[in-house]
Amino acid sequence: MKPAGFAWLFAHEIRLLWRGSILVRTQRHVLIPVIAVGIIFQAVALLIAWAAEKQHFSVHILMLIANVNILFLFCLMLSRAMTSAIDVLYSRGDVDFLLASPIPPSLVLAVRMIGVAAATASPWVLLGGVLANGLAVFGAPQALAVYPMIAGISLLATAAAFSLVVVLVARAGPRAARTIAHTLALVIGVFIFMLGQAPRYVPKHLMAGFWQAFMPTATNAASPLWLPGRAMLGQFGPLCICIFACAFLFCLVLAVLGKSFASGAISAAAYAHGGRPGTRTGNFRDNPFTATMLKNLRLLLRFPGLATQTVYRSLTLVPVAMILTGRIAIGAGPNVVVPLIVFLSGQLALFFISVIIGSDQSPELFAAAPVAAATGRRATYAAAGYATLTIMALPVFGILLRESGALPVLVAAMLGAMACNLALGLRFPIPLMRPDFGKAQTGTVLGLILGVSVSTAWSFAAWVLVTPNPLAFLQIS
Amino acid sequence: MTATLEVRDLTKSFGRPVIAGLNITIAPGEFYALLGPNGAGKTTTLRMIAGLLVPDAGAISICGIDVLTRPLEAKARIAWLPDEPLIYDRLTPMEYLEFVAGLWRVDPLLAKSRAEELLETFSLWPHRNERCEGFSRGMKQKCILAGALIHEPDLFILDEPLTGLDAASAHLVKSILQSRADAGAAIILTTHILDVAQNLATRIGILAGGTLRAEGTFAELGAAYGGGSLEDVFLRLTKP
Repeated sequence: MKPAGFAWLFAHEIRLLWRGSILVRTQRHVLIPVIAVGIIFQAVALLIAWAAEKQHFSVHILMLIANVNILFLFCLMLSRAMTSAIDVLYSRGDVDFLLASPIPPSLVLAVRMIGVAAATASPWVLLGGVLANGLAVFGAPQALAVYPMIAGISLLATAAAFSLVVVLVARAGPRAARTIAHTLALVIGVFIFMLGQAPRYVPKHLMAGFWQAFMPTATNAASPLWLPGRAMLGQFGPLCICIFACAFLFCLVLAVLGKSFASGAISAAAYAHGGRPGTRTGNFRDNPFTATMLKNLRLLLRFPGLATQTVYRSLTLVPVAMILTGRIAIGAGPNVVVPLIVFLSGQLALFFISVIIGSDQSPELFAAAPVAAATGRRATYAAAGYATLTIMALPVFGILLRESGALPVLVAAMLGAMACNLALGLRFPIPLMRPDFGKAQTGTVLGLILGVSVSTAWSFAAWVLVTPNPLAFLQIS
Repeated sequence: MTATLEVRDLTKSFGRPVIAGLNITIAPGEFYALLGPNGAGKTTTLRMIAGLLVPDAGAISICGIDVLTRPLEAKARIAWLPDEPLIYDRLTPMEYLEFVAGLWRVDPLLAKSRAEELLETFSLWPHRNERCEGFSRGMKQKCILAGALIHEPDLFILDEPLTGLDAASAHLVKSILQSRADAGAAIILTTHILDVAQNLATRIGILAGGTLRAEGTFAELGAAYGGGSLEDVFLRLTKP
């Protein structure tokens, strides 16, 4: 019998992704909010494109902007692809199953890598694509080169991520590889964010000098270094070269890593996680609420990638800290800081409750226990709320010290955002990671969309209350 | 004497009838094996008894407590063991027992000593502080069994409790269940290992097509349905 080919396996993967996907598992009408958000994004992008079209930049500045954006995109995609590559190696029991079949390992790797590349590229296609559409509408069709470029960069980032993870597993073993890869992904993400914030804390003349040193005219405008920038700007030749180079490197990694991937996946599958053995002798309580809350906090703390995802979400606190410590001045202070803290509180609460619900592998145990369902819900709210407040305590304390007048609004809006997101998360948890083999994805896109909307609404309400004259921007000077 | 479990005219359908007019009574100290082919409705029956599924019609009472009207009181008297060892991978066996003991409001001091004893009994003591994610199916099953035993229930509802256990562990579980039955607890279990039912059960019920085809001791079933082993009787009764 002839083993299955690439097309069959790819179709199988797509079917699995679709059936287990957040879209299918979400409510029946999930496509409506998704389409609505897409339309809103496109409308905003049209406005931005309309405004951008009036600006005139030299080709050299555009090349610099394009190259810097490509670098940012690559790093962020690499970070995301690394966590996905770890997921493929550790969390999907079906890799082990597929590798035990007569399908060549390189084929399994190819399908998984394409899946990761597509997942990595999708948010950027949404963000970059709508802007490119807008620019194309206003007379710059070459902006549509963003689409193939994002695809190319995601292929490259995925190839680099898989190479790193597979080599790490081979050299350092599954346990260390998982830790190193998660840490690397986190460091890359934080580094890029901090770099993006550089204009806020580096003096203007230093920044100007820095960018001048990197201008195509200051280096060599004809250098291959500027090929990606030219490609992003829609120059046909460089675009073809870049896409070909990315695809070639992707295929090269596939050809070289096939066997190492198989042995890495097999050793990772055989690796008993076990965790660190402790010395505890038991801490029993005869209170179902306390026992459930403690269990929830343990599940939350032991969620793989908790630190990475919490830090990513908490990056909002960097500008908050800078404003509160007086390093930068934006607006009147509280009118920027308070909404940011409120938004983050809502998002963290939603994330934590989603982790707790996603980690609950035995809900039937609670259902079979002599405990009211409301107790379980309260314990889940309490654990997620406690975790959120622990992280948010420091910025709230900062507000107390620097802007104590804004504290009542902040606390009220924070609690409102948290309460709404906790209630929302219980019904519509956000998607966290691909489900294990045979296990359903509990997260939903709807939860993600509603969560951002609710947090934004509370954040906006807080902004209105702490801004002395919120409608000032409408006044004609 | 009040029966530990009383099931009356139980009916459940999922589009098609799964259980139709089921009646079972189990006295304290009785070991009842519910047998049946795949899809006969065994797990559905146990899930309704455990209060996890609401029947379309009929009544279930545990120690005289109606499961449908007073579910929390009824659940306080049972231990439920599902057919899949769904355990929290990121908890240790000790933490799992802490959680279960908390849910059933077992006195902390008593729970601690029972947990230690159960972990020793199931050879899990050396692994008490390791997370369950690396455990074999048998080890997970033993954790769940320890959880089922920590609050000393009146009724054990066990769905395939011996799946995944090695011979020594299976022997241990059987002897523990037998001793609990001797101490007055009632046990209802499903199993596909007919020897277990033949050797342990005081009564056997054979379920097929949502109805109880036969019920009685092994000797009674043999006498009524042509003799031979339990397997022979089972095959005769469940032949489509």
